[in-house]
Amino acid sequence: MRRATWAGVLFLALVGSFVLSIWLGSVELSPSEVIAALSGRGDPTNRLIVVQIRAPRAVLAILVGGGLALAGAVFQALLRNPLAEPYILGISGGAATGAVLALALGLVASHSWALPAASFAGAILAVVLVLRVALAADDRVDVRVLLLAGVVVGAFFAACIAFILSISDARTVRSAVLWMMGSLAGADWTTVATVALYTIPAAVLLTGLARPLNLMAIGEDTAGYLGTNVESVKRTAYVVASLLTAAGVAATGVIGFVGLIVPHGVRLVVGSDYRSLLPLSFLAGAVFLTLADVVARTVLSPTEIPIGVITAFVGVPLFLVLLRRSMGGGQR
Amino acid sequence: MTSDQAPALEATELTVQYPSTDKAALNRVSMIVPSGAFYAVLGPNGSGKSTLLRALLGMVPSVGGETRVSGRAVSDWKRRDLAREVGVVAQAESLAFPLTVRDLVGMGRYPYLKPLQSETSTDRAAVKRAMERCDVWELGHRFVSTLSGGELQRARVARALAQEPRVLVLDEPTASLDIRHEMEILELLRSSADGGMTIFLITHHLDHAARFADRVLLLDRGSVAAEGAPREVLRESTLQEVYQWPVSVDDDPDTGILRVTPQSGSYRSLGSASSNRVR
Amino acid sequence: MWLARTRGHRDALASVLRLVRFVNSWSVSFLQLSTCALIVSHLACAGEAALPERDASQFPSDASLEAFPVEVVDDSGVRHRFQAPPTRIVSLVPSATQTLLAVGVGGRLVGRTDYDQLSELAALPSVGGGLQPNLEVLVSLEPDFVVRFEGESDQATADRLTDLGIPNFAIRPDGIDDVLSSIERLGLITDQRVAADALLAEIRGDLADVAARVEGRPRRRVVYLMGGEPPWVAGPGTYIDELVVSGGAVNVFDDLEGLYGPISLEELITREVDLVLVSDEGGSPDLIDVEHKSIPSWVEVPGPGLGEAAKLIARLIHPEAFP
Repeated sequence: MRRATWAGVLFLALVGSFVLSIWLGSVELSPSEVIAALSGRGDPTNRLIVVQIRAPRAVLAILVGGGLALAGAVFQALLRNPLAEPYILGISGGAATGAVLALALGLVASHSWALPAASFAGAILAVVLVLRVALAADDRVDVRVLLLAGVVVGAFFAACIAFILSISDARTVRSAVLWMMGSLAGADWTTVATVALYTIPAAVLLTGLARPLNLMAIGEDTAGYLGTNVESVKRTAYVVASLLTAAGVAATGVIGFVGLIVPHGVRLVVGSDYRSLLPLSFLAGAVFLTLADVVARTVLSPTEIPIGVITAFVGVPLFLVLLRRSMGGGQR
Repeated sequence: MTSDQAPALEATELTVQYPSTDKAALNRVSMIVPSGAFYAVLGPNGSGKSTLLRALLGMVPSVGGETRVSGRAVSDWKRRDLAREVGVVAQAESLAFPLTVRDLVGMGRYPYLKPLQSETSTDRAAVKRAMERCDVWELGHRFVSTLSGGELQRARVARALAQEPRVLVLDEPTASLDIRHEMEILELLRSSADGGMTIFLITHHLDHAARFADRVLLLDRGSVAAEGAPREVLRESTLQEVYQWPVSVDDDPDTGILRVTPQSGSYRSLGSASSNRVR
Repeated sequence: MWLARTRGHRDALASVLRLVRFVNSWSVSFLQLSTCALIVSHLACAGEAALPERDASQFPSDASLEAFPVEVVDDSGVRHRFQAPPTRIVSLVPSATQTLLAVGVGGRLVGRTDYDQLSELAALPSVGGGLQPNLEVLVSLEPDFVVRFEGESDQATADRLTDLGIPNFAIRPDGIDDVLSSIERLGLITDQRVAADALLAEIRGDLADVAARVEGRPRRRVVYLMGGEPPWVAGPGTYIDELVVSGGAVNVFDDLEGLYGPISLEELITREVDLVLVSDEGGSPDLIDVEHKSIPSWVEVPGPGLGEAAKLIARLIHPEAFP
């Protein structure tokens, strides 16, 4: 079936991207040197570079890229809006506020885990705030209010960030801005393990919600009539997808476009059935972010281009090509 | 009492009030839909017909009374099981993402499938049957957004039929259909009812109710105005009071079928319909 | 149903709102980025203009290693023990780089940052930015001594360096005392105490000279303008502020919140300002009708040029004291 073929293709692409990601970098290494480093032999410096710097980074790209794409697809079904993406409900604003606050208060100077912890806390705060606002009088999540609440809460956090930055010193501002543009540079195996702890169970759970999400995309009433526990699905999907996003943002900063463009790209190729869309989006997102990270690291080496810039510059034209091809052929 | 004989749908003293409104949408409504009957629900705009449908299926909370489906309280039903029992064609829906007709109808089988299980041959056969009965089999690969209103309506009826339910609930399913397709759906519903399926049809068309229904419920501003066989409910005086418009009810001389004809009225005399009857 | 009719409108509204929010969030970032780029360029363009060159050959290195092992505490409170002077040095802090060059160990540098633009460093491989260096390149250089920033910004980089086994020494490069302390310690670590002491003596001599010349003179009211809309000024605790104070003036904005910040034009006008100092790169000199003098950019960066910088600033403030 087509789904299996595409899964195979994407999985191969993922393996290929991973290989590329540990092979290429600011320091030139030959394939034999890389293999030696991976198997524990070879120059200790090379081992350090491959195993402690590049490998965790590549794995983090897979986890975060896949997680963001998956969350984006879920939000698009939940909010019944093709422009939905993981940050639409204020998560990026909350996470950024937490991070900026941690930087400005100097908490980061003493504990390196302060930054991811603060941004995660900020993201959760945003989620809770938006959910509270969107819980209508009879304890049901009103999806239209959810959307507006997310936009408003996001704007509020953006104002907080602007305020904090306006009274901070230059180094703090620069660190904050770079964080907000997203980067995989800080990846180490501890970070990878933490993110994996959130990402893998969340991905499994959300993939299991594929059919209810298919129904949600038609309408909540219809979903209910066709056997879905609509409220329970809404809440579970919202909370799990938000946690997934928050974990990614806490580790890497705000990487945009992945959650919006990847699900659409996959949709244009295999259609809107979430049973294919979810796993394929994860794979495609993982490939996309891994390759974007390779580009970010190598093009202007030793300077790193913020990865959010790459995802935008690469993602948008790619998406436009896919869109044109689908509108030219096929029926819309 | 076996579930075959229990009423398909039943409401007892049902009261529903939406939050932040001061009037109840449904006020102590009691009604019974016998199993296997073709049951039509009539009433002016805002009389509570759609609310009744949703309350019967547990989609809106009630403040008083209770509703039952096939003899069990609706709150005792698990949603999946309820979806195998009752198929619903709601008034309208909008798709957020492109979907083929085949996929749309295929969703009718979801209540029978486990989370990641694929369709079985049983499911495929059920879908095919449903699509053929609604004359949309040829449209399977088309995207829903390219269909006409009538084609989409028929596809949605097919989806409900694919659920292989015992009760089919429809809210104004013939709204955008031409005469042929309108009659096709109604005759399909009638023959399904004859075959044992319960039909619960909300409609504006008094004529349809007169012609096809076994039992009729007439709602007026959230209360039951009349319930019973079409001839009992569709009386001139009852209709005129509920609809605030002069009508005449007679038998079609050629077919013998009950016929309701609205008369011309005047805006000044909405309160006293009877005095303005013009023949 | 009314839901169906309004859905089209709702989707359109949501799309517009989404776009607005997206643009808004990026524009906030870009606004901050552009404003802080101005300041960062001030901080970072250490050696682009002519820095008074120090001839390293003036200071012969210590031949003996009797002083070792040495124990030195860095600015994060960590005590480091050096068995021998390091031979492969990377400095991520421009002022420390200048210090290392000034005490004569430029030959032991194996890497630089993108902000080190001095000609003698150009041949060295760059590790990218000083705050978040490219770890791969840094590791590949196999340094045995890395000087890093200490401050509120980034403990994560420090932790990564430690995790990767790269010895890192924290320097806070902000004020006059920081510079003096780092010169002394770096001299100790690199076994260039003679050179370092000579440099310190020279700087302290310059500072004393300046203090003597401006003593008793009326303190002028000075503001250091950095340009931007609204204009940014240097506040208390900045290097420039210290130089201004030591030069016999008072910083009009010594009540500013934070090191650098925007002020309204009205403040600039209502506070009696005597003298406006502007950087000779950027800055908007004609905001108020008061004496303006421009400062070469190297003066703003803390480093071994401290003595020269203090003299230059004092001369601008009290030209009559420097006949």
